Amino acid sequence: MGQAIEKPEEKREIGHDEYNPVGTLALILLYFVLLVFLWFFMYFVEFLGNDPTVVGTVVASGVVG
Amino acid sequence: MTMSESGGTYIDNFPAEARVVRSALYSSFLALALGGLFGIIQTLHRTDIYRFIESDMYYTVLTAHGVFLVVTFTIFFLVGVFTWAVTTSLDRGVEDIRFTWLWYGLMTIGTVMAAAAILAGFTDSIDMSADVLFTFYAPLQAHWLFYLGLVVFVVGTWLAGADWFRSWWAWKQENPDERIPLPTFMVLTTMLMWYIATIGIAVSILVFLLPWSLGIIDSVNPTLTRTLFWFWGHPVVYFWLLPAYMMWYVMLPKISGGKLFSDPLARVVFILFLLLSTPVGIHHQYLDPGIAEGFKFIAMTNTMFLLLPSLLTAFTVVASMEHGARQRGGTGYFGWLKALPWRDPVFAGMALAGLMFAAGGFSGMINAGMNINYLVHNTLWVPGHFHLTVGTASALTFMAATYWLLPQLTGKALWNRSVALVQVVLWFLGMTFMSNSMHRAGLLGIPRRTAEPQYQGFEFEAGVGSVAELDFQLALGGALLAISIVLFLANVVGTAFNGRSDDLPANEFAETLSGPEDSPQVLDNLKLWTAIAVVLVILAYSFPLMSIVDRGGLYGPDISPFPVSIETLSLLAFTLEQYTTAAIATTGEFVQTTLTGVIR
Repeated sequence: MGQAIEKPEEKREIGHDEYNPVGTLALILLYFVLLVFLWFFMYFVEFLGNDPTVVGTVVASGVVG
Repeated sequence: MTMSESGGTYIDNFPAEARVVRSALYSSFLALALGGLFGIIQTLHRTDIYRFIESDMYYTVLTAHGVFLVVTFTIFFLVGVFTWAVTTSLDRGVEDIRFTWLWYGLMTIGTVMAAAAILAGFTDSIDMSADVLFTFYAPLQAHWLFYLGLVVFVVGTWLAGADWFRSWWAWKQENPDERIPLPTFMVLTTMLMWYIATIGIAVSILVFLLPWSLGIIDSVNPTLTRTLFWFWGHPVVYFWLLPAYMMWYVMLPKISGGKLFSDPLARVVFILFLLLSTPVGIHHQYLDPGIAEGFKFIAMTNTMFLLLPSLLTAFTVVASMEHGARQRGGTGYFGWLKALPWRDPVFAGMALAGLMFAAGGFSGMINAGMNINYLVHNTLWVPGHFHLTVGTASALTFMAATYWLLPQLTGKALWNRSVALVQVVLWFLGMTFMSNSMHRAGLLGIPRRTAEPQYQGFEFEAGVGSVAELDFQLALGGALLAISIVLFLANVVGTAFNGRSDDLPANEFAETLSGPEDSPQVLDNLKLWTAIAVVLVILAYSFPLMSIVDRGGLYGPDISPFPVSIETLSLLAFTLEQYTTAAIATTGEFVQTTLTGVIR
């Protein structure tokens, strides 16, 4: 078996000033959009139905109060 | 960064330390094996797919699963990897290897004691049990051996921290003008957080739970022991997470083929965790009736601030990976992702763990919101959340890191890289199924910590899919995770029995694009950050604790051997308030200058 890490094949050296992490920005924007969507979705899950937290049906009729 | 002159593996440079680190890691993996076994039993039981234990034994299984995984597995791994980090980055061995073995020994003895108490719960022939779950607050009571074991274990971790501080002090004498190397900085800040956090659990056990289990005191105040538990119970999640963060910062950039984007930003992140990890524990108690809403609101605010260092980490780590990808020839907004070394199990494991953590971030935000928390409190949503954080962000990172560390610690090549790659992907898939179904089941109100979540005359209504489908997903996910653990352990054992290899990479960590010289010196002022952290804890906890004691008595509502007078309390409160306001005013200036320096 080989080494624990494959040696990265470095094709070019990118220094501090030439590096612009636009890909990171793109991913972060994507995550932000996902978060906004999920918050929006949560509104439907929790508030729109206006139901109590435990959602379900009591099937039996003989429940003692 | 400075590395060993020889450029050899860790075991070449530090053979004695390698033995301790290896022992710590093996102890951790033994706990993983046991904890994983109880995990699959529990999964099959509560989904009613295969029940071979009595349901009244479920709490024993659940306690073993929780304690072995989130205390033993994680913390033994932490002490191993932190010893590696300190010795590697300071390029010096520990000061006294006997002391190192002493704390490892204490942790082991403590674990054996606690484990004996837990496992004795499976048999009636021994009059001993500790079915108190990982959240071991009152009114559930364990055998005294469990609490005593925890005490010995925690004292072991305290001494481990002392060992690393001792190394740093010795190094500082010889290098008075140098900045603390980043891995050591991360270890020291994490341990400072741990020292503050463990005050809560030390008081809880030594003053209340242990004397209570020994019959020295008759009763305790459950809200007080809960609050003291969560005083420690939230920062402990960062104790699980920060070793993983450390590996993302110091290993992942290198494995991606790049450099760490910013050393100063990494320091700021760890300082923020030191400051904010502890004064937030009350967010686990949003539904506790004995704590006023205002205190909960303060905890919520602090918690939301705590998102900041995690989001900073997401940025820095992803930007470092992107740097590697671009150096490897990656292009485009998303195309660079293809240039990353996805076939390397070390990289794939850590990157997938990070991706899962991003999802866990969202469910964490839901948990942290006071009103939304009511929706998910005590439901299966919560285990769904922490299986993404400790169960994946930490656990999967630890396993991936092992594939890099183990050859360093043994001088032997990894047994099988393909199995390793399959293992990390299986973990990711398994957790996707399991965690997804847990979150959704939680939204339906299906409870956690329940052997048989089926009720007569009541049916949970699934908006999408069905409860049977959720159960199936949960069991499928659990099964994949169990297989993944078996593959991981096979690789560990296979590596241990491999022959020595001369073909291993040197023991190095990532270089930086922007190094410590770009950050203000004050970031390394550990005394200052510790002082601020302590003030924040006093602010967040003094009034809630006083009001809990005031309402319920120090030793519970029934007996009060130490009568608490309201007059002395309010006087104490007033003095504290004066004191902390003054302290905050002086530290405020410090913080302002520091932040301007960092942001510049």
